[in-house]
This record gives sequence, C-alpha cells and structure tokens, in this order.
Amino acid sequence: MSTVAERSAARKRAQLEQKALDWADDRLGSSKWLRSAMDKIFPDHWSFMVGEIAMYCFVILLATGIYLALFYNASSTVVVYHGPYKPLDGQSMTEAFASVINISFSVRAGLVMRQAHHWAAVIFMAAITFHMGRIFFTGAFRRPREINWIIGITLLLVAMLEGFSGYSLPDDLLSGSGLRVVFSIVQSIPFVGPWLAFNLWGGAFPGSGVFFERLFLIHEFLFPALLAGLLGGHLAILWHQKHTDFAGPGKTEHNIVGSRLWPQYAIKSQALLMFVAAVIFGLGGLVQINPIWVFGPFEAARSSAGTQPDWYVGWLDGALRLWPHWEFRSFGHEIANPFFPGILLPGLVFTVIYAWPWIDKRLYADYEEHNLLDRPRDKPLRTALGVAALVFFIDLTLASATDVIGNGLQISFERLIEILQYGSFIGPIVGGLVAYRACILLQGGNVHPIQRPVGGTIVRDERGAYHTLGASHGENGHEGEGHDVDGHTGNGHTGNGHGDETTLERGPAGG
Amino acid sequence: MGPGALVGAVMAVFAVLVWSGSAPAQTKPVSTAPVHIQAGEALYNAHCASCHGIGGVGSKGPELLNVGAAAADFFLATGRMPLASPNLEPVSHKPYFNPSQIADIVAYINALDVEHGTPGPGILDVTPACANATGNCPTLSEGNQLFLLNCAQCHDASGAGGMLSHGYVVPSLRQATRTQIAEAIRVGPRPMPNFGPGQFTNQQVSAIADYVYYLAHTPDPGGLGIANFGPVPEGFVGVIFGLGLLLLVSRLIGNRG
Repeated sequence: MSTVAERSAARKRAQLEQKALDWADDRLGSSKWLRSAMDKIFPDHWSFMVGEIAMYCFVILLATGIYLALFYNASSTVVVYHGPYKPLDGQSMTEAFASVINISFSVRAGLVMRQAHHWAAVIFMAAITFHMGRIFFTGAFRRPREINWIIGITLLLVAMLEGFSGYSLPDDLLSGSGLRVVFSIVQSIPFVGPWLAFNLWGGAFPGSGVFFERLFLIHEFLFPALLAGLLGGHLAILWHQKHTDFAGPGKTEHNIVGSRLWPQYAIKSQALLMFVAAVIFGLGGLVQINPIWVFGPFEAARSSAGTQPDWYVGWLDGALRLWPHWEFRSFGHEIANPFFPGILLPGLVFTVIYAWPWIDKRLYADYEEHNLLDRPRDKPLRTALGVAALVFFIDLTLASATDVIGNGLQISFERLIEILQYGSFIGPIVGGLVAYRACILLQGGNVHPIQRPVGGTIVRDERGAYHTLGASHGENGHEGEGHDVDGHTGNGHTGNGHGDETTLERGPAGG
Repeated sequence: MGPGALVGAVMAVFAVLVWSGSAPAQTKPVSTAPVHIQAGEALYNAHCASCHGIGGVGSKGPELLNVGAAAADFFLATGRMPLASPNLEPVSHKPYFNPSQIADIVAYINALDVEHGTPGPGILDVTPACANATGNCPTLSEGNQLFLLNCAQCHDASGAGGMLSHGYVVPSLRQATRTQIAEAIRVGPRPMPNFGPGQFTNQQVSAIADYVYYLAHTPDPGGLGIANFGPVPEGFVGVIFGLGLLLLVSRLIGNRG
C-alpha cells in the first residue's frame, strides 16, 4: 500500500528514534522502559481526550499563574492608586487590589495573561466535569479503577477550591462579596464555626493582614502542589491499569486496541495541547473576563447587582438562594441557616460521589473487574440517576444566575426562586425518567446517538411514503445480544463499524 | 415609626432646607414663554390629561404639581411616558414626542409647578468633566466611588441593570445620556429612590452621570464585554463556547488512529 517514499521516511524515522533511545540508554539505562512506553496503546475515542483538555488547561494555568505571581502583592496595606485607569485615580485600596489593577493596565501582557488564566480556570473546571461525566456514564470507575475515581473526585474538589481562592485574590467587590458569603458559611458550622472562621481569617470579617498572605499561599503553592501530586497519581494509575475502551471488533476485557503512544497518540495529544492553548489565549485576548476595575476595590458597605461566583461554584450559591428560611434550635444551640445549603448539601453530595463505585457494585451486584466500558443505554438506572443529578446541579446553577435570568426573561425574582425550588425536585425526576426511557428506546435501535449522522438516500415511493435506502443503521452501532439486560457483563457487543477507518493494533494482554 | 423612617424624614427635611440654597445656575433654563407653555398645554391635554388630570391635579395617574421640569423631561425623553395604560410599569422606549414637543410640555409642567409654588428639581446641566479618558479627571474617580456606593446594588457595577423583587426591572444605564442619568438621580423614577441635594450636590450628580457615561462609552479594555453582566455570561462563554470548541476538536482528532 505504501509508496517507496513513505517506506524510506518510515525507515529514517525509526533510525532517528533508535538514535535518541540509544542516547538516553547510555546515560540513564532506560531505553527498555522507554521503548515499551512508546509502544503503549491508547484507544481511539474522542471522549478519552477530555481529561487531557483538563490536563493541558492545568499546564496553562501553571504557566500563566507563574507570570501573574511575579506581579501580585498579597498585602492588605492600604495605598493610594495613581495610574492609567482614571476612574480609580486617587482612591485608597489594598495593595492586593492595586497590584491586580497594575497587572491589568501597567504590566506588559498582564491583562491577556490574567484573562487567559481566568478563562483557563473556567474551561479547566468544565473539562473536569465533562470528564467525570464520561467516567460515570460509561462505568469506567468500576473495579479495578475505584482509587482513580477517588483521586479524580478529589482533583475536582481541590480544583474548585483553587478556583474560588483565585477568584478571591484580587480583593475587588466580587472577591469580597464571595468571601463574605464563605465567611458566614464557615461561621454557621455548629459549635466550631465562629472559632474556625476567626482563625482562618485572622479576626472578624474582612480579616486581618494575614488573610491575603494565607490565601495567596494556598492559591499559588498548596493547592497547585496538591493538584500536581494528585494528577501525577491519577496518570500513574492510568498508565499502570491502561485505558478502558468501548466494546468493539477485536476488543476484549484482556486486550487494548488503538494507537501507539509514539508517534500517533503523542501527535494527537500535542495537537490537542495547541488547540487548548489557542482557545484559551484566543478568549484571553478577545473576550473580557472579570473586569475588576469596574467592580472597584472591596468595601463592606458596597455591593453590586449581578454578583455571582464563577460557574463551578454557582451550584453552591444557588443552593443558598433556594434554601428556605429555616433555622433550627436544638439543645439550646442554634444551627444557622447557611449550614444546610453551604456545608451539609455539598458534604452529602461529595460523600455520595466518593462512595459511588461501591454504591454501583451493590446496585448491580457486580464485583467483577471491567476493562470494557458500558454504553450508557445499557445501564438505564445508572444513566437515569446521573442525568437526575445533572439536572439538579443545572437547576442550582441557574438559581445562582437569577438576577440575569430574571432580567432577561422579565420574570419576577420571587417567582423565579419558586420555580427553581420546585424545579430542584421535579427537574431531576423528569430528567431521570426521560433518560431511562431514552435508554430503553436506544437499546431497541442500534443507532449511535452522536457517533455519526445516519446516512442513506431518502426516496419517495409511488404511494407517497418515504424510505431510507442503504441506511447505515447499525453500521456504527454495536450489534449484539445482551442489550435488554440491565447489568450484563459487558462483553456482549460485537459491533462491526466502530473502528472502520482506524488502524487497529493489538496491545499486550495483562502486563 | 422605625429608625429608617426617622432618618428618611430627617433627610427629607434637610433636603428641603438645602433645596432653596442649591445653585440654580447649574440647571438648564426652562422656557417661560407663553407660546411654549400654550403649545405644551395643548399636547398635555391631548396625551397626558386622561390620567394626570386637567391642570396636572392627578386622577388615574399621580398629580404633577410639584414634580419639576427634570421629571417631565426624564419621563418624556426616555419614552416612559405617555403610557398606554396606568397599570403598566413605565420602561424605556423610543420617545413618542420630538425634542421641541418635549420642551413645550416641560415648559407647561414647569409653569404648573411654579404657579402651585412648589417647583421640583430642574434639569441639570451636566457638562463632561473631561473630553477623553487620557486627561486627568478628578470627577471620574469621585463618580466611580459614589456610583459603587449608591447605585451599583441595583444597576450593577457595570451599569448593566438587574432586577428587584415584585418583578420590577432595574434598567441598564448603558444607553442613557448624561442628562437622563442626572434627572433620574434627582427625580427617582419609582421604585428608584430620589437623591436630593442633601445627598448629592449638583456637582456630585454630574460626576456620577459622567462616570456612568464613561463606563458605557469607553471600549472594554479586555475585549468583548459580553453583556457586562459578570460571571454568568463569562461562565456561559467558557463552558459552551470554550469547552464546546475543544470537544469538537477532540471529536475531530480523537477518533483517528
């Protein structure tokens, strides 16, 4: 098939590779490992690259963050600003706020770096969430991958806190309003809350001079180190256990089919890195994010309409907005209102998420090892529960945006809150039922919902009816038995079109 | 009477006291020529009297005997009046009258007020403190501080507007002229409170109007402003556009072997 030119290019490439491996081997004695690493097989499915989007966002966050850290000043000393942004000229503000204003208006490339950093954080969290959804809906968390699920959820949690700490650093009106809310939530923890809040902030809100130093230490050292460490563990376990894959021709529980790390997958991955960087810096250069100069320095007496957290904290803000005005007294002690939506709800949510691999085992009485993924439709109950949870989070996130939604749709604030309060119960039920039904219907047909549009020619017969000729129903789908059983063992798919244009390479089984 | 009402009453008394002493030199003169007043009266009787009553004594709508030229100019120039039905919330529209008709009606309302002996706020003459943002504009900083302390709670720090309870919409200030902003501050179109001379001097009102105008008419330093609504549109753009684009990219390169 290949031409003479292609063969000679391949030979040349192999020689270069050998040379590079020899060089490394002479110095490190590692070529055997490297050789096997280069031959590592990565399955070819687009959804497996979403975790990588998150990883590359993290790389860009580190790079831009280092640049910003050079100019940020974590100090609450009050200074008078004199600089190019005239509306703030002559105003008193903390050095922290002034330094971010200087990054935005006086430091070369400061604004584009700041905006790229912020956009990267927004996309980072979105990619993590999508990745988590993919893992959940395909059952990739099942034995033997429970530890990586736990590490992944911890990454999500730490990334969320990291994002919020970054949002709080500039000490603008949004930062201060967010910290004010969090201070109250911490205070609402029964018994220990007030002491905890005072110790964290170094005094009553807005805290003493130590607070921004602590926050900065957490944001630019503690959490990034934690994220890097957890990510390393996440990838090491992935490397050791290898990828999961969807069922397909030639795919079994004991092999892996896809592209080699070198050169195919490395090039794909590098292309993705370039695209991630392009999107983030494109947004950073062209679309404004968090204009702190508009919000001004934080002062406790000020507030602004439309004060929201970034999207990934929105569900918690929404929970605060939707929670009824209940307060409980027990044993002569008041449990303050923000405790329930601010601490108890996220506590329960994350407990259930952490425990999900074991809940799932119980649910399906399935304690086996799995390397082949479930199609979401084949586990309707899990899919329905996942969709219900998603609807619940979307409802809470919308509740965080009530100012904007109410303004846009001309619905009164009270009505909107009521709708979303009911929605947080009804939405998940409806969403779950629809998902369950959709799963059952999809099991009947063999069409992949998003794999590829169904092809074929539409013709009209003499009676006026339409038919699709040469339709590719099932061409991309997974023919085979076992779809009707919820909880089948995952090796029933013997599809015929999944990798029809893919070079299939069989990887070593087991080790 | 709660402490808030007491403070309000004290402030109102203070405002009335200061009112008489405020500098009228900074308000635009309203025509007192009979020809304008008569033209205004004709327009008033045709378009306004059905609700506000003959001679501004009020009926289905509020009386207009002490509202002032600023109120008449504000409601007419922003198209809030005339209203199709007195039950509607007046919101910004294309003005129904042309500027000379508005000037006539304003002259008539002003004449009613003067005749009644209790004229309301006049139309403030807001002159820009600086022609562009590169100069040294001390009032811009003052306007910024006053706006963030007094206005941003409802109108958003960016002036993009927001919402109140009971379905009241807080309008965006980004299309408003300096004069309209100054008038609204003095008049307080319901449910917005009015800020009298006891709260802001004319010079401070000018500074606020100047700052809001600056905010809306200076290009956003960071690029596209995406509605200037803060984190909600930012999250939308980041998740739907940013991640969406990257998902398409992974779909494009991910399935290739």
